[in-house]
Amino acid sequence: MRRLTGVLARGIRRGMARADAAMNRLYGWRHNPLYMSGTLAVVSLAVVLVTGVYLLLYYRIGAPYASVARLTDQVWAGRWIRSLHRYASDAAVLAAALHALRLFVQARSWGPRALAWVSGLVLLFIVFVCGWTGYVMVWDVQGEVLAREGARFFDLLPLFSEPIGRAFAGDRTIPGAFFFLNLFLHVALPIGVGLLLWIHVSRVARPAILPPRGLTWGVTGLLLALSVFWPVAMAPAADLLRLPGRAPFDAFFSFWLPVVRPMPVGVAWVAVLGLSAVALLAPLWSRPRAGARQPPSAVDERLCTGCEQCYLDCPYEAIAMVTRADGRPTLVAHVDPDRCTSCGICAGSCAPMGVGPAHRTGRDQLVQVASFLAARELGARDVVVIACGRGAGGVGAAGSVDGAPVHVVQCAGNLHSSVVEYLVRSGVGGVLIVSCPPRDCWNREGAKWLDARLNHDREAELKPRVDRRRVCLLFAAEGERAAVRAGLRTFRAVVETLDAASREEEIDLLALCEHSEEGAVS
Amino acid sequence: MSVAIRPAGVLVALVATAALGALSQVPYTSERGSDAYVRLAWRARGERVETCRRLPPEELAKIPAHMRREEVCEGHVVPYRLLVTVDGVTAAQESVASKGARADRPLYVFLEIPVAPGRHRLGVAFARIGAIPAGERERGTLPERLDLDTVVSLGPRQVALVTYDEDRARLILKGYGTPNAP
Repeated sequence: MRRLTGVLARGIRRGMARADAAMNRLYGWRHNPLYMSGTLAVVSLAVVLVTGVYLLLYYRIGAPYASVARLTDQVWAGRWIRSLHRYASDAAVLAAALHALRLFVQARSWGPRALAWVSGLVLLFIVFVCGWTGYVMVWDVQGEVLAREGARFFDLLPLFSEPIGRAFAGDRTIPGAFFFLNLFLHVALPIGVGLLLWIHVSRVARPAILPPRGLTWGVTGLLLALSVFWPVAMAPAADLLRLPGRAPFDAFFSFWLPVVRPMPVGVAWVAVLGLSAVALLAPLWSRPRAGARQPPSAVDERLCTGCEQCYLDCPYEAIAMVTRADGRPTLVAHVDPDRCTSCGICAGSCAPMGVGPAHRTGRDQLVQVASFLAARELGARDVVVIACGRGAGGVGAAGSVDGAPVHVVQCAGNLHSSVVEYLVRSGVGGVLIVSCPPRDCWNREGAKWLDARLNHDREAELKPRVDRRRVCLLFAAEGERAAVRAGLRTFRAVVETLDAASREEEIDLLALCEHSEEGAVS
Repeated sequence: MSVAIRPAGVLVALVATAALGALSQVPYTSERGSDAYVRLAWRARGERVETCRRLPPEELAKIPAHMRREEVCEGHVVPYRLLVTVDGVTAAQESVASKGARADRPLYVFLEIPVAPGRHRLGVAFARIGAIPAGERERGTLPERLDLDTVVSLGPRQVALVTYDEDRARLILKGYGTPNAP
């Protein structure tokens, strides 16, 4: 199962990398909708909520179809608002599904992220049930078919004294309580959505709830335009004494009907429960084997100055500042291993290099880059590429790109600025750092903090003594190898215009570390 | 984003939006074929047969005062047999028993029989299985036997509904194929 999951995830990831690259070309990474699928689901649900309040004013449980028909034909803007309600709910399902798929193929669903994964699936299920009840409320052909299917499912369970399906036999009028129950669920479930959304993001710091304003209004505008120019038509009313004929169905909420309807209900139950279990347990099969998992970050309390930067930068709120046990007056960072995803962002944030996962602290990175340089003869015009191992045009796995040697870090946010300084002081012509776009960082904020450390003096900042002209930060998605090569060409041209880099002999790694330890309490 | 690729971005956004609209209204036929249906659906309080006995004073004394009843009855709902014929051919035959943990729920009938569109002679018989043993008491209003013999004329996908009219205590035909068809 693990192997099958791995093959499936790799295949989807390749396709997604191409799609990401195409979208970046069209909209730029700041507005790539594929990076913003989760937040777009929230925007869509907000539109559903607002339009739903308007629709609720005109809905009558005593005359469901007639009231929706009146709303569509006679109420001011009713047709458009009903269409927007529907299209936005479709967009929410689509965006949520893409969001889940993305996190699954990026293996961001296990360990401390399992809560977000499970709550996200439950959220998607609730949105789905909301849509189901919404369609039944209209009581057109689609509503009737969905209601009958729901009754078929529930009638297998020994819950009701009288089979629900008999309500749709046609021998009597459908009781108003049925439509009231639908309306109640349709209105009450979104409250659960709000609560679950809070749980969904409860383990991340600074959760991104909304996409950039331009994308928010762009998507809302497109949905509104679709509603105006292609409004949803009323399907034929439900007729319990006539088999439903051909009618428009919403594929986002009814896609399962052609498969499930012909199934015996017992088989359908097994299929639904089986698929749900597979979805819930997917993280178990997508996580690395026990021996291959990265250990959580650890704090060297001797080096920790209590500056709180790792605590501020951690995207998963896995670091807390606690009282020291050794009597020193400052606080000390403490990593909660149950919340730590081993992203290593704290390693890049710590000026004294006292925190980070094993073998990835700032000190470890300096040792690694020293041996990287020692293994190569690099000239004063050569460019070294530091690439994120996950995105970055996929150059991390290549070893070199267009003749430039590639030094790989697991996440660009993991990179300590001293590594860049070390390379420049070692006399390389330039350092090109290739990171995933900030919106697509597998560790949420790695690229953002890296940019802030290199260019905006965020602790642990790249020191002013480093010639900035020799450092370039480039954002590139996994499928953007061409963009990396183009960026490298441009940067090489810049480096060519500079004086030959001067080389400092025998840079003392310990001294570099100690320099960073200026604030350390001895 | 360069100016040159903006139109492509707009075009892709419009196509994606149109695709969303199309997928939101996909024509789908949930019931394939053109068969008509005869649907039998009713709920009736079945005949409950009970054997009752009076409790002797010493047995009553053992029961809490607020639960004492001089007569206790135990029984079951009598099952019925349903026979449906279409054009003289048996289309369905089954026994209908009361459900529930104590088998005391009403009798439910729900059956759908596909038929070719057109005129059909429909026969329905719903008859009690077995006789009431001597000495047992009978409670309920469902007759010992219900019969319907009629002709229905159905178009494609139409449903003729046979149901039980409790007020008149007989089976009736509703829906398509009847003189008052919608």
